[in-house]
Amino acid sequence: MTPPLVGLVPFGLVCGVGAQAAGASVFEAFGMSALMFSGAAQILAAQLIAAGAPVAVTILTCFVLGLRFLMYSAAMAPHLKPLPPRWRHALAFVLNDQAFAAGIRRFRGSGDKRNGASYFLGTGALLWTTWQLSCFAGYWAGNFIPAAWSLDFVVPLCFLALLVPALEDHPMRVAALAAGVAVVALDALPMRLSLVCAGLVGIAAGMLAESRRGAR
Amino acid sequence: MSSALGWWVVILAVGALNYLSRLSFIALFAHIEMPTFVARALRFVPAAMLTAIVVPAVVFVAPETLAFSYTNPKLVAALVAWAVAWRTGNAMATMGVGMATLWLAQWLLPAGVT
Repeated sequence: MTPPLVGLVPFGLVCGVGAQAAGASVFEAFGMSALMFSGAAQILAAQLIAAGAPVAVTILTCFVLGLRFLMYSAAMAPHLKPLPPRWRHALAFVLNDQAFAAGIRRFRGSGDKRNGASYFLGTGALLWTTWQLSCFAGYWAGNFIPAAWSLDFVVPLCFLALLVPALEDHPMRVAALAAGVAVVALDALPMRLSLVCAGLVGIAAGMLAESRRGAR
Repeated sequence: MSSALGWWVVILAVGALNYLSRLSFIALFAHIEMPTFVARALRFVPAAMLTAIVVPAVVFVAPETLAFSYTNPKLVAALVAWAVAWRTGNAMATMGVGMATLWLAQWLLPAGVT
């Protein structure tokens, strides 16, 4: 639980700085962090608006960036199925990168769905609140943090810490390796399509490795 | 379109699209049975997506500029952090050692690419 939270704070600061630099009012900055609840989308939207991109292009680009949420949604679905609908609707709202990474690990580690769901909802609420505070702090004071500290590097480190324990078997490592190669190879794709495409390549490679191992 | 209106159209549209994307399969598979093929694929989502998020943040030192070299402090820090995560499984230690390594590498390689 703590690692996603620690990773979120510098990311929120960066997003706050980005919103401020793009000329957003404090309400617009809060609207972004509260409703989009996705650091990558917030930074991208702020950059595009500041660059004078048409509204439709900005929306489409952020939507493509958010396609990974479809995969998170599908991966969470079996774990949330036994819950009442309003739980599912609430949990879906907080399903960002960090909440997914922390939540899926808990569900896989425990057979108790209700317990896992309480944990996920608690985590999500805490992540959401922390996110608002970090973005606010970044909006008001982020410019005082020297860029040389590279605090935003905590974000990939946090994901790395969650990734490594997930590489428990050979097909899983093949999936990660393929996704890593693909995301670099496909970097030239527009609208950060490389992210979701690399995810799909990784999944396909993992399944292939699994069935080859099964056939032997 | 006025600037404030433009902001709010983007905020509300992206907010709604993000929520619908997050809800999509959670809502769908609550009502229909998930095909086994899909269930098999989903096992790989965390490993594939987390890698796809981490790798560009480490190997790109500027847009479209790859650096697979010891002079890239982020790559050095990520490899050390990887080793810590592998050996200890401790996320806080991974992040702490990773940041310390990054600062050390940036300090030792002042002329390096950052």
